[in-house]
Amino acid sequence: MHGRSARNGRPALRLVATPELEPAPPSVLFCSHCGTRPFVSNKVSAAPSSRVCGECGLGLILEAGEDIAPHAGDAFLVLDRALSVCAMSRGAERLLAASEPDAVNRHITDLLMPADAEEEGGETLAVAVAWASRGDGGTRTTRVRPANTFGIRLTARIASCGPPRAALVVLE
Amino acid sequence: MRYLKTSEAAALLNVSPNTLRAWERRFGFPKPQRSPGKHRLFTHGEVAALRDALQEGLSISSAISRAREGLAADANSLVGALASYDRERADAAIEAALALRSVERSVEEVLLPTLDEISRRYSVESAAWAFAAHWATDWLRRATRLTPPPVRQVSIVIGDASRDELDRDAPYIRALELFCVRAGIKVLSLSARGVAGIGDAANVHRPNLVVVAGGHLDDDTVARWAYAIRLAVGAMPLAIYRRGAERPRTRGTGTTVLPSAAGDAQRTLLDLLESDHIAATPSASAAAAGARFQMRSARGQ
Repeated sequence: MHGRSARNGRPALRLVATPELEPAPPSVLFCSHCGTRPFVSNKVSAAPSSRVCGECGLGLILEAGEDIAPHAGDAFLVLDRALSVCAMSRGAERLLAASEPDAVNRHITDLLMPADAEEEGGETLAVAVAWASRGDGGTRTTRVRPANTFGIRLTARIASCGPPRAALVVLE
Repeated sequence: MRYLKTSEAAALLNVSPNTLRAWERRFGFPKPQRSPGKHRLFTHGEVAALRDALQEGLSISSAISRAREGLAADANSLVGALASYDRERADAAIEAALALRSVERSVEEVLLPTLDEISRRYSVESAAWAFAAHWATDWLRRATRLTPPPVRQVSIVIGDASRDELDRDAPYIRALELFCVRAGIKVLSLSARGVAGIGDAANVHRPNLVVVAGGHLDDDTVARWAYAIRLAVGAMPLAIYRRGAERPRTRGTGTTVLPSAAGDAQRTLLDLLESDHIAATPSASAAAAGARFQMRSARGQ
């Protein structure tokens, strides 16, 4: 009778301890143009009063995991699930020699090309962006190069950001 | 049409006025008009569209792009209405544009680009162009009639040198008339073909400036018309608007070549009227400006 209800003989429900899950990294806010993290106090980002960055006034405040969220001056892009550019940081403008108003709504391959042919087991750029823009957790890494330049390879770390849900591509 | 001052628009968007001015410099949007005191006046429709786009955007650029797409939908719907010969839908489309913009911007950003698109897509010999040009001319004339009486003590005569209302320049000329009337200028628009009796018309109207608009009539015809006005009321400044490829011989003759965009042309006309001080003393200034009235340009010499 062990584990069964004494009244009707059906198995009894009991609480089972869940296995230890790795805690998700805390999320932080950052500007989609200058990368500044606003209102950081006691290591907790407070909600800003406006979605527009108070530092540069040219970006919107987005949220991403602390391990991927860029810092001021970093080169990064925000892409949607169609791989169109939605935002471009000031650092990426310098790195890729393109301005954000011109780059927005263009396909990512106008700016970056995959350079992962020699990689083993790495994610492709398109797959990583698709996963991230779908909201899947984790950070993926791939190699890219500027679309109009050969001989330069950049490491792209890709993870989810938002709202609305999108893929954050940090270039290093 | 509801207008917002910079501080009001900034409050609606929850940004600082400096940020709003930075967006205007970097993105050209939202695009303000200017009050008589040169202060920015934002249309509520544009600011509201941007506010909604910012809620769902990932960057200022993408939000502005989305807001612009929403505003461009008016032009697309007007093209569709005119291409399907639907007058009621066309009226509704321009009304929708007017809900978000001033009359001037609705004409410049929706109506005239729509006509350009139809002429490009179907050619000016098509039935679609005939319908669109007739509808646009009718709408512009109606808007001109509904404008309050002029408040400035200046008047102009526009010599219409276009072929007819199917001329590609005709809607632009009607738009210039509308903009001038809305700016408080008294406008008399006549065909440049009609020379007989033009002196009487000029004596009644007492223009401060003559505009020759349209490129269909030849220079001799236009020169005869302008000379008849000169005989009646004396010499006065002359401006030409959309006279073909802006003939190079007009350079250096004192004749002002107006920009082809109706809004820019109206602003140039206002500057011309104010800079020459011909608003205050029409007859004296007309005499002083006599040397500038170069008939040779109109005669094609």
